[in-house]
Amino acid sequence: MIGIFGYQFFQNALVAGILASIVCGVIGSFVVAKKMVTVSGGISHAAFGGIGIGYYLGLDPLLGATVFTLGVAGIVGGLRQWASQNIDTIIGAVWAAGMAIGILFVYLTPGFAPDLFGYLFGNILLVPPGQIALMFLLDAAILLAVAFFYHDLLAITFDEEYARVMNLPVGWLVLLLLTLIALTVVMLIQVVGIILVIALLTLPAAISREFSSTLFRMMLLAVALGGCFTTAGILLSYFLDIPSGATIILVSTAVYAVVTGRQVFRSRIFRAR
Amino acid sequence: MDEEVIVAEDVWFSRNNQSILEGVSLTIHSGDFYAIIGPNGGGKTTLLKIFLGLLSPDRGTVRIFGGTPEENRSRLGYVPQMRTFDFQYPIRVRDMVLLGRLSHIHRIPRRFGTGDQDAADHALEIMGITHLAGREIRDLSGGEQQRAIIARALAANPEILFLDEPTIYVDAPTQAGFYEILDDLARKMTIVLITHDIGVVVSHVTKVACLNRRLFTHDSREITQDMIDNTYGCPVDLIAHGLPHRVFRHHGEE
Repeated sequence: MIGIFGYQFFQNALVAGILASIVCGVIGSFVVAKKMVTVSGGISHAAFGGIGIGYYLGLDPLLGATVFTLGVAGIVGGLRQWASQNIDTIIGAVWAAGMAIGILFVYLTPGFAPDLFGYLFGNILLVPPGQIALMFLLDAAILLAVAFFYHDLLAITFDEEYARVMNLPVGWLVLLLLTLIALTVVMLIQVVGIILVIALLTLPAAISREFSSTLFRMMLLAVALGGCFTTAGILLSYFLDIPSGATIILVSTAVYAVVTGRQVFRSRIFRAR
Repeated sequence: MDEEVIVAEDVWFSRNNQSILEGVSLTIHSGDFYAIIGPNGGGKTTLLKIFLGLLSPDRGTVRIFGGTPEENRSRLGYVPQMRTFDFQYPIRVRDMVLLGRLSHIHRIPRRFGTGDQDAADHALEIMGITHLAGREIRDLSGGEQQRAIIARALAANPEILFLDEPTIYVDAPTQAGFYEILDDLARKMTIVLITHDIGVVVSHVTKVACLNRRLFTHDSREITQDMIDNTYGCPVDLIAHGLPHRVFRHHGEE
């Protein structure tokens, strides 16, 4: 078993898992605390549109996804300001339209069909070294932005209206948060794939919430949990020869189910007393 | 004490073709403890949000300290209705109160200095919740949550404090102590209170207005039968609210 740690691809996979866990724990804590899971879902599925356009134009699909996803984040941020009532429906439309655009452009691309399955479900064991360097840069940029605007982001995710009364630039800060979510999503595509991004973004943070009294502690614990889940998932998927992205998510979901179940069980007993 | 701190002139507001405010004019002076009462859906919260610059009127003007609401927001404190934000958010009482200081911190990155820490501690003390400083807000009772929200507003040392239905989720004994705190605060700042609780208005405030799309006031603490009739659209006997009419008279004559 120790032998596999000597393989370059395996080391890459573990490092990619840790790098993904760091941003997921930090950004995911905002997402869970602010209850923005649907918004993140819309943004991540819209990324598929960018991948399709990237293929069509002969660019790196991840570059296409980055540009397209940032654009979608901007549009969602703008619409949120003007049409707060129907944001749920708008997200649904963005979600579906992004996927449809992706499929359409892949169909229009001449030649044989690319491996879309890889983008939908990801394969962390195939992350190239160049990608690791890019992930490292993205990690640094996202963490720096959060550190710089920590209290501002705390204020808008806690109570947006009050943040506005305090004259904070709420519109811009929401846009910043959506941009950070978009960058996180793009980074995760390689690791767990579009479909499973939501799970890695929300499950470690949601579990962590049960044991944390502040957002900062929630982030720290979520990062640690994410690291454990991705590492365990990678090992399991290697030894059982099953898809890595799905394994990581199922490990996370299992822990989430245990924690939530325990919580429900406890509150039942508490009430019965 | 007679400075005009809030001046609204002929304010109109509608949403989805439904008229919410019609020609509202009022003047609030420095040191007033001003109550705005009226039925649900009468436009009370809308008017408050216009004062805070969260909504813009379709017509008419609002001046706060002679300027726009946006220009002078750092001099305002706001206590929103409970349940307008999520008490499940992972934050402790003191950290939440400290966030109220952000309106005074303009340097980026925004970090809290000792002055901010002291202001937050003082606000906790005023509201009598110093012992709750380290508690998570989701573990507080309704009354404690209410005090924490007010402490957040006080942390910014506001000159005008706006409160929107502050006692709606608070039980009666807690309410009594709560209004004593407001009486104390009223000596140091202007207070604008939105409430449907006419009993409170009688014993604590200095001026009353009734609002139901249109605003009626005599610029005094007296609620007259014509104000009630105009606001509630049909004759409502004041005694029907459990308040003998003469109580109003007594306070009006003081």
